[in-house]
Amino acid sequence: MTLTHLNARGEAHMVDVADKQETRREARARGAVHMQASTLALLSEGGLPKGDVLATARIAGIQAAKRTHELIPLCHALALSKVSVEFSLDISRSCVHVEAFCRLNGRTGVEMEALTAVSVACLTLYDMCKAVDKGMTIDGVCLEEKRGGRSGDWSREDVSEATRGSRGESEAVAVSNGVAVQFLAELRERFETAEYALEWEQLPSHDIAGVKLALIKQDPKFKALLNQRVLCARNEAMSQDSAVIAPGDEIAFFPPVTGG
Amino acid sequence: MKIAISVQDAVFDLTTEQHRLTAARCDIGAVVSFTGWVRDFNERPDITALTLEHFPKMTEKVLHEIALEAGERWALQGVTIIHRVGRLEPGDAIVLVMTASVHRRAAFEACDFIMDYLKTRAPFWKKEHTDNGSYWVSERQSDREAADRWEHS
Repeated sequence: MTLTHLNARGEAHMVDVADKQETRREARARGAVHMQASTLALLSEGGLPKGDVLATARIAGIQAAKRTHELIPLCHALALSKVSVEFSLDISRSCVHVEAFCRLNGRTGVEMEALTAVSVACLTLYDMCKAVDKGMTIDGVCLEEKRGGRSGDWSREDVSEATRGSRGESEAVAVSNGVAVQFLAELRERFETAEYALEWEQLPSHDIAGVKLALIKQDPKFKALLNQRVLCARNEAMSQDSAVIAPGDEIAFFPPVTGG
Repeated sequence: MKIAISVQDAVFDLTTEQHRLTAARCDIGAVVSFTGWVRDFNERPDITALTLEHFPKMTEKVLHEIALEAGERWALQGVTIIHRVGRLEPGDAIVLVMTASVHRRAAFEACDFIMDYLKTRAPFWKKEHTDNGSYWVSERQSDREAADRWEHS
């Protein structure tokens, strides 16, 4: 393995990609901003002095991805075909998770663009919230996966599984890779529990149906989740049994709604 | 389209909200509002209070999406949705939907649509309290049918 940004004399140079084949390139990166619970509450209620924090941070992340070549010296300017930045508010860990996804058909990868989008979205979150909370930290900025190109596909999950296999990695990694389950209203009272953490390895299938089965295996009382009228949200979006889930997802189960 | 969404404990004031929706505009021809009130009878006759629970991470997002969908179906100039949560008593106002448009038909229909979708999609749950105990309110078939009629229009 060599560092492609260094030439034979060890000097930094920009890689000539003119002769490389154009292929579909994708990359996903994530990070998190940890903050005080009260700051997170303000953020979710839209009560911060600078206004709509998440909408602003999303635009900042997308803009930053497009300008990565201006920030990182040896990056090529890329015509990205897609950039998305998503946020999920995590009350249990008192943080905002940021995930960015970039795609293009081109000759170089888009990992730096995804990482830049996450970084700048995190910085914008900090800027928008710093009036009420200066102690926030930006953590865990990393590449989750990349697809396409000469070096092929890569995923953090595969790597961490490999290291777990060889080194017997600690429990903590497994928990952070699991899913957080939340029960609301009548279901919370019936189960006498508001939250439940499932480890990724406990899931018989990586979808909502798998989450239900894993819970029932833990305790038969969760059979109530099989009722047709029980609703489910994955990362705050309504989802069906067949919806695919990913490590770190937040799954909420709740009864039919009765507001108004 | 001006969208104002709020999920709050506090009471709301119709006149204030109408001023807010129409402030500095002279192109609005119609404002329609719906206010939902807490009754002292529902599934049981002697309701003393109810507790409104919601899913904070998701509620405002869903209400915003409902307002946007109304804006796609009708030419609206503004939508206000306020839903109260926490403990409420009979005689309290619980929900306000206000729509503004050039002509009345769009405002009437959009207000109706938003309430139907709010009742079947927004993550709120009511628990009613009586002297003989508390219970969670069941969903109503009539609400589901009311929302379904918009699917085909």
